Amino acid sequence: MAGTNNIVVAEHICKSYVGVQALSDVSITIKEGEIKCLAGENGCGKSTFVKIIAGVENATSGTIRINGREMTKHSAKDAINEGIQVIFQDLSLFGAMSVAENIAMNKLVKEGKPLTNDREIKRIAKEALDLIGVDIPLDAQIQELSIANRQLIAICRALTLDAKLLFMDEPTTALTKNEVDRLLEIVLGLKARNIAIVFISHKLDEVMRIADSITVIRDGHKIGDFDAAEIDAAKLAYYMTGRQVDYQHYHRDDAAEASLLEVRNLTKKGNYEDISLNLRKGDILGLTGLLGAGRTELAFSIFGMNRPDSGEIFVEGKKVTINDPDDAIDLGIGLVPEERATQGLFLSKSVNENVAAAILKRLKGFMGNINSGKSRDLAKEAIGQFRIKVYDEDTVVSTLSGGNQQKALIARWAASKPKIFILDTPTVGIDIGSKAEIYEYIQKFAAEGMGIILISDEVEEIVANCNRVIVMFNGRKVKEYTEEEMLSPDIKEQINSLVESGKTAGKEEAS
Amino acid sequence: MKFLKKIDKTQRFLIVIIAVYCIVVASRNSAFLSLSTLFALIRSAAGTTILSMGVLMVMISGGIDVSFPAIAIFGGYTSLRVCMAQGITNMFLTFLISIAIGILLGFGNAILVNILKLEPFIITLSTASVYFGLMTILVGTKNVGATDLPPQFRTLSSLKLITTTNQYGGKIGLSVFIIPVVLCIVLTWFILRKTLIGKGIFAMGCNTEAARRAGFNVNLLRFFIYGYAGFLGGVMGIIYIAGTNSVNPVSLVGTEMSVIACVVIGGASPSGGYGTIFGTILGVILYYLFNQTLVYLGLSASWQDFFMGIVLLFSLITTSWQRRVQNRKNFIYTE
Ligand SMILES: Nc1ncnc2c1ncn2[C@@H]1O[C@H](COP(=O)(O)OP(=O)(O)O)[C@@H](O)[C@H]1O
Ligand SMILES: [Mg+2]
Repeated sequence: MAGTNNIVVAEHICKSYVGVQALSDVSITIKEGEIKCLAGENGCGKSTFVKIIAGVENATSGTIRINGREMTKHSAKDAINEGIQVIFQDLSLFGAMSVAENIAMNKLVKEGKPLTNDREIKRIAKEALDLIGVDIPLDAQIQELSIANRQLIAICRALTLDAKLLFMDEPTTALTKNEVDRLLEIVLGLKARNIAIVFISHKLDEVMRIADSITVIRDGHKIGDFDAAEIDAAKLAYYMTGRQVDYQHYHRDDAAEASLLEVRNLTKKGNYEDISLNLRKGDILGLTGLLGAGRTELAFSIFGMNRPDSGEIFVEGKKVTINDPDDAIDLGIGLVPEERATQGLFLSKSVNENVAAAILKRLKGFMGNINSGKSRDLAKEAIGQFRIKVYDEDTVVSTLSGGNQQKALIARWAASKPKIFILDTPTVGIDIGSKAEIYEYIQKFAAEGMGIILISDEVEEIVANCNRVIVMFNGRKVKEYTEEEMLSPDIKEQINSLVESGKTAGKEEAS
Repeated sequence: MKFLKKIDKTQRFLIVIIAVYCIVVASRNSAFLSLSTLFALIRSAAGTTILSMGVLMVMISGGIDVSFPAIAIFGGYTSLRVCMAQGITNMFLTFLISIAIGILLGFGNAILVNILKLEPFIITLSTASVYFGLMTILVGTKNVGATDLPPQFRTLSSLKLITTTNQYGGKIGLSVFIIPVVLCIVLTWFILRKTLIGKGIFAMGCNTEAARRAGFNVNLLRFFIYGYAGFLGGVMGIIYIAGTNSVNPVSLVGTEMSVIACVVIGGASPSGGYGTIFGTILGVILYYLFNQTLVYLGLSASWQDFFMGIVLLFSLITTSWQRRVQNRKNFIYTE
């Protein structure tokens, strides 16, 4: 159980960046052997707090005591020497270096031996990988790996040292359920060894399962410390957002039966097989299943980025071939991809430029020049309409929090007014407040006549937003729920158990 | 086979080019395939090889240095003038003076990069000017003829490790230059591959902020990196002076771009985080192969720049194309 010794006592921490007060007067105490969850909406200052304790950023004011010693303007190295390890939200890995080197790096630096030994490096890495039970080639370069594997590497790296305090800043956004379960087990194991863990995640069920205490932050202010046992999801959501959060269920009112998008027997070897679907105006069609079920690949095919081997696509009854995203955009198709950071947004560009990117054609003037005044107005409008939290429209997207990045991306597509809008797991890593807002937009778009395909792993999300659902496994469509079926009161349990059965079937197939 | 697996695509590409080029030249002119060609190649490439190791390290760390020719000539020429004035004939001391100057000037670069936090390119571009100007003011730029060189320089210049006679009965030999060259290569390899500092250099080149978060003192590392480049400049300065018959201290300035080109052709990433010693050496070999042997093809030396440019462009095109293919596989579309 949690000991009585405090590892970190942070008092009255304030931190301001140019134009943003990230933290105001936050006091947090972390005890030996406790699992603390930091909860709060995107951009409320959780990562900033982690960075300050880790010595990566310095607080503007406030005092920090680590292991009883007062630290002023301590460095990352000081924090590491005090036994603090961090899995940073951006992972902080070394892209061109090998998996083994990345995992062993922190241990090598901490031990400070001037000479390194490749065999020793591999041994450290192998041990850490075995600990969480994954198999990633030690010689692979980080930049060749998927986001999920990179997260696993960052986790492994933090486990190589005997830390006293481990910060985990949203380490599970890209992981599968099995991997998350394994990680939570490890976290509990660490706790048993009296190591303190500060866990940040937007998957509140994960949090509730393991946390001893929950500290809620909203807009840089601490709202309070709560005992995990005495708080429920609804209350937590209320503290985080400051308002009652509930999701509207979507019902389609449109009487038009004409097909907006029809896919017939689409097949791409190794991706998906024999997929047919039909989307009408006002439909929100859910695509669920398991990670790797072929949903993303299907979406990319419809968006012209992954040429199918056979099958046909019809838009508003006309047969079309979509060779590239430009074709798709011309046909009125929009896509919010799964990995918004690499596939969707131009992170180093401003909100203005990002919003403009999807509608360059419309902004083009007489000579093909971009009408910058018009684009600026559109960006301002989007920021207002979608409540994107930014300083101004010239703010660079990479400095926004996840929820706001996603809103900027959706805003970008909304500006181009697509007829068919595909959203691939749009709420991964996004707090409940922004999530509810995104649901609101999706439903509003559909009510106004857009046809929407929503890819999601969260059955709850699917049930709240979709009027029809397709379940996929291993690239095949296994079940389609009609509008009537979706109205059944136990629909959530039905879909859940279907997905669960697929999981065990998948495992048997694999073994 | 194991060797083939270990080397990267750039290196394979360079080996093929070098092999094909050698076959072409040898088929046109049998004089090419001889020990004397090899020995001449090694002697002429010695200075650039040493400098390229420094450029490689700086580039891996995510920086760039264009001041190394100025540092080399500052160190070498000052050492020469001091030796002449003081009558110093000790080889060790001669190198020491040059190396000490080189390290100091390298530290100067590191201080400015750390404080100003500007592009190292701009900073070293200005320090190159400052250093060269400073040398002109302090020691001048008087030409020194071969006969005026102190004895240790002449020894260095003429000492051979192996000597044989060529088909015309002339004496040829492997210059002693090979020793400092090999030492510098091995030292650089050791630092980059076998030490914590080396890991830090790669790490900061990949992601400076992440290197800092892992606990590296990035500012201190820069002192090491630029200081080491200065050290190599100092070594090269002496070799350079010994290797040319008449020392004109202005002649070395302006050669930085060809050294950098060798390193980039060798596969080092100009944005940092990646680079190999073997690739760099191949890049230098290719450069001097063109430099020394285009005459065998009846082409003037000015074709060298043209060929190097073509090879560089070609390797850039393939790299960018490979990246694009890789990105498409991951559904990443860039502008
Ligand atoms: N380097 C920075 N420069 C300017 N603003 C920043 C920087 N880092 C974070 N912020 C801002 O500080 C606030 C808190 O961010 P962060 O701590 O990352 O939030 P969280 O981790 O809770 O999502 C946000 O408004 C964010 O935009
Ligand atoms: Mg964060």
